[in-house]
Amino acid sequence: MSLPPREPPLSADASLSLRFDDADRNLLARAFRTPSDGPLAWRLNGEGHRISLVDGFDRLLAWPSLRGVARYEHQERTVFRILREMHGRGILADEVGLGKTIEAGLVLKEYAIRGLVRRALILTPAALTGQWREEMAEKFSLPFAVLHSVRDWDRRPLLIASMDTAKREPHRRAAQSRPWDLVVVDEAHRLKNRLSLNWQFVAGLSKKYMLLLTATPVQNDMDELFNLVSLLTPGQLHTYDRFLERYVASADRRVPTHVSELRGRLRDVMVRNRRGIAFTLPPRRVHSLAVRLSAAERHLYDDVTQFVRDAYWSSSGRLPWTARLTLTVLQREIGSSTFAVAETLRRLAQSPLFGPDDRDRLDGLRQDAVAIASNVKASRLRTFLESLNEKVLIFTQYRRTLEYLRGVLEADGHRVAAYHGGLSPVAKDEAVRTFQAGADVFLSTEAGGEGRNLQFARTVVNYDLPWNPLRIEQRIGRVHRLGQEREVHVVNVWAEDTVEAYLIELLDRKIHMFELVVGELDLILGNLEARRPFEDLMMDIWVLRQAEERRTALRRLGESLVRARGQYEQVKERNDAVLGDVSEAVPT
Amino acid sequence: MSEAGALRTFVVEALAGLGATISEGGSLVWVRAPDSVQRDLEVPANFALAFEPEQSGAFDAELVAPGSYFLERLVAVTTARGRWDASRFEPSEADWVSAVWSDSGFGSESGVRPRVLAIEDGILLLFGFRLTLISDEKRESFHLIAVSPVDGSAWAVLPDPEDSRLVPDAPIDFHPDLEAAYRLANEAVRDETRAEVDRFRSRSLGLLEEEVRRIFAYFDNTLAGIREADPEGSQDLLRAVMAERDRRLAEAVERFDPKATASLCSVRAVFAPTARVRLEFQGGAIADIHVDAWSRRIRGLVCEICHGTEGPWSFEAKSEPRCGRCAATREESAPPRGHPRSGTPRRGTKAGRSAVRSPRGSTARSRAASGGDRGP
Repeated sequence: MSLPPREPPLSADASLSLRFDDADRNLLARAFRTPSDGPLAWRLNGEGHRISLVDGFDRLLAWPSLRGVARYEHQERTVFRILREMHGRGILADEVGLGKTIEAGLVLKEYAIRGLVRRALILTPAALTGQWREEMAEKFSLPFAVLHSVRDWDRRPLLIASMDTAKREPHRRAAQSRPWDLVVVDEAHRLKNRLSLNWQFVAGLSKKYMLLLTATPVQNDMDELFNLVSLLTPGQLHTYDRFLERYVASADRRVPTHVSELRGRLRDVMVRNRRGIAFTLPPRRVHSLAVRLSAAERHLYDDVTQFVRDAYWSSSGRLPWTARLTLTVLQREIGSSTFAVAETLRRLAQSPLFGPDDRDRLDGLRQDAVAIASNVKASRLRTFLESLNEKVLIFTQYRRTLEYLRGVLEADGHRVAAYHGGLSPVAKDEAVRTFQAGADVFLSTEAGGEGRNLQFARTVVNYDLPWNPLRIEQRIGRVHRLGQEREVHVVNVWAEDTVEAYLIELLDRKIHMFELVVGELDLILGNLEARRPFEDLMMDIWVLRQAEERRTALRRLGESLVRARGQYEQVKERNDAVLGDVSEAVPT
Repeated sequence: MSEAGALRTFVVEALAGLGATISEGGSLVWVRAPDSVQRDLEVPANFALAFEPEQSGAFDAELVAPGSYFLERLVAVTTARGRWDASRFEPSEADWVSAVWSDSGFGSESGVRPRVLAIEDGILLLFGFRLTLISDEKRESFHLIAVSPVDGSAWAVLPDPEDSRLVPDAPIDFHPDLEAAYRLANEAVRDETRAEVDRFRSRSLGLLEEEVRRIFAYFDNTLAGIREADPEGSQDLLRAVMAERDRRLAEAVERFDPKATASLCSVRAVFAPTARVRLEFQGGAIADIHVDAWSRRIRGLVCEICHGTEGPWSFEAKSEPRCGRCAATREESAPPRGHPRSGTPRRGTKAGRSAVRSPRGSTARSRAASGGDRGP
């Protein structure tokens, strides 16, 4: 065996020698040679040292410095187990929506405060790097950087990298040649295959502590569980042959045996909080407010759609990415309100992206949009609010729609707290306080109170529907989260014969998305055969010229979603069967 | 005071001590910082401090909490200052020596007759140490050690940050032999923390051993399985498995290998009246001791059983002094476990030589008097 060149771990078992700091000599040489800073400074010196002492993990130090993180017992218990019992190496296998990211952030912060973690690496799917960076910065004040260049491995002690990038050269070598105090792997079920690049890459990292995050450690067969645990603590589930012999009952390796004993071994390396054990969320009820657009709105919607389709297909070559994005924005805005789309139409009417004819057409559309003074969706919303006698969160994607709605609702006598990305942090705080104190409407754009506790309300209105379902889920998650005690109502306002109607068809009717628990949708979308953002899939369908083509494509996507959901349900059941009460018997 | 309250008090005092102007306004603390504070703490000229995360948004207030950047900076700046100090203690009681006797077990019923030989201006040196133990976790503690350069004794004292009895005193040309006193303090810290360090070591090495055993068991069995399945198989595969084993072992060492360090935080000289006293015991033995008015510790007595130097003391007829604990247990065969021994006079020091002498002047059969052999 070749150990690194340092003191052997079990050397003669001599007593641990207390080493004195070399800097002591420096102080001894200087003391009393020059005037002192005075007795107050001497006292504060001692106070400063005493106030910054840490004593193991007797308590969590991070809580007072966290922002927008509610304190939940199961998360605190989990963090203590990782720190005290698992000594910094564990699998966080909570069911979705119970806050694995928060738990990982807490562990990281506790180590960082104690100076035990200075270099940390978070490996995530590419789509989640930004979200991790934001959460670590906003909630934990940990300034992680997202990997952009190979030099970042040297320059950034706190780094977030997509697994797909990091595992490939030149990043792979750079990552593996540096020691890491802590490595966090999100969606760790992607490490299920021992022969995969993912597994080999993580195994090759030099790390002191490691957290593996996954709600579903077992995707298909028991091998995956063995591979995951072996990455963390080899030998915990015996050798591979012994593991198969002892814990796998069937030839296809899907069925476990000696389950109780297996769970006992897993408890040493895994925490799995389950909804029924940790807490139960109240149900969600979904309400649909479908409207038929007015003649003028219908005309405008169809004309904008026609322009989008024409522009999409008329390009001589491949449509530039910016033009494609612009068309998508235009189509999404007309789904929100005529007020949202009017300004973009004005801008595009002057844009060099389009030729003179298109610009004329866009200007005509702008004039049509400006001429529409009110929207049918808003009227429907007003009627709904009249029947409601409680606080409500109304979400829209666009600031201009927000301003329009604010005028309409305030004219009706509602007290509105507006919240959007243009507000200063102080104004945002004030908006939340106003809503909590007296306002009956919290009118918000997508920046709507991320991380803030709004559970005192329970009704969410989607005035428009983002094409990214995860955005919709985030909106609902503002109230349907830990701490919510009442039934939650989700109200979707949408117009017939629009993209939003397609979304309702797919997400509500096909996979009952609005009844899923926060986090489940992510896993379902991850199972989709088409590895493209959901917004792009929607746009691909919507721009098809023939109605029959659109219907066929929509049906296919619906079937694909249903399969993805079924696949997710199967995996969930398999994990419950194998892991079951892994955490239940853990004394707290 | 609550922990948050203590933190707030420290921050306000520390900033004021650095020259900042403080005004407290409800939940926030407003600070006007001079140039030096702006530079050292990386703050603007005027800023607000919040002690709750929810309040830190208001007025862009800087959050102060464990782990916050501001607190780390402030602690770093504060602990870089005030590293030495000299103060004087003037006792309020005229007859402070008598008060020390009764507190230390030398009442009239003890049968010991103290005779004050002289009262002189004495000096004690206080060394503040921060002890840090690291393996998979970190444990820290603060230790204040008093050293008497005169008799060479050293002992742990409880930190008393509010010691208002001391007044600043900075004598000109005061250049004590800090090196020698530091060495004594150094040894006292080792004594003081030995049990704690040993416990930490046992725990960490136990965990390391368990981890190493598991890693070896897993990889050895895996290697054996590979060889058995294919005796002529690829050496590359075996080498890869061994490399992985070595990597895991290195990680285990990195995680559990215990390290213990102590760093000197500050030094303080305390000038205090010190009495040189001769004790005459019932059996006729005598002992010369020192006691100062500030620490009130009897220096120069050694328990005849455990060789400890901690009072209070007990005297039985015709016997030499025993510390209260040994007297209570009447255990003469062995020193009690975990008994404090710091402050035991060292070989060759004046205290070691003058510990307890027979009336005829010969050295008593005291391990302490004969050297540093202080029992098991």
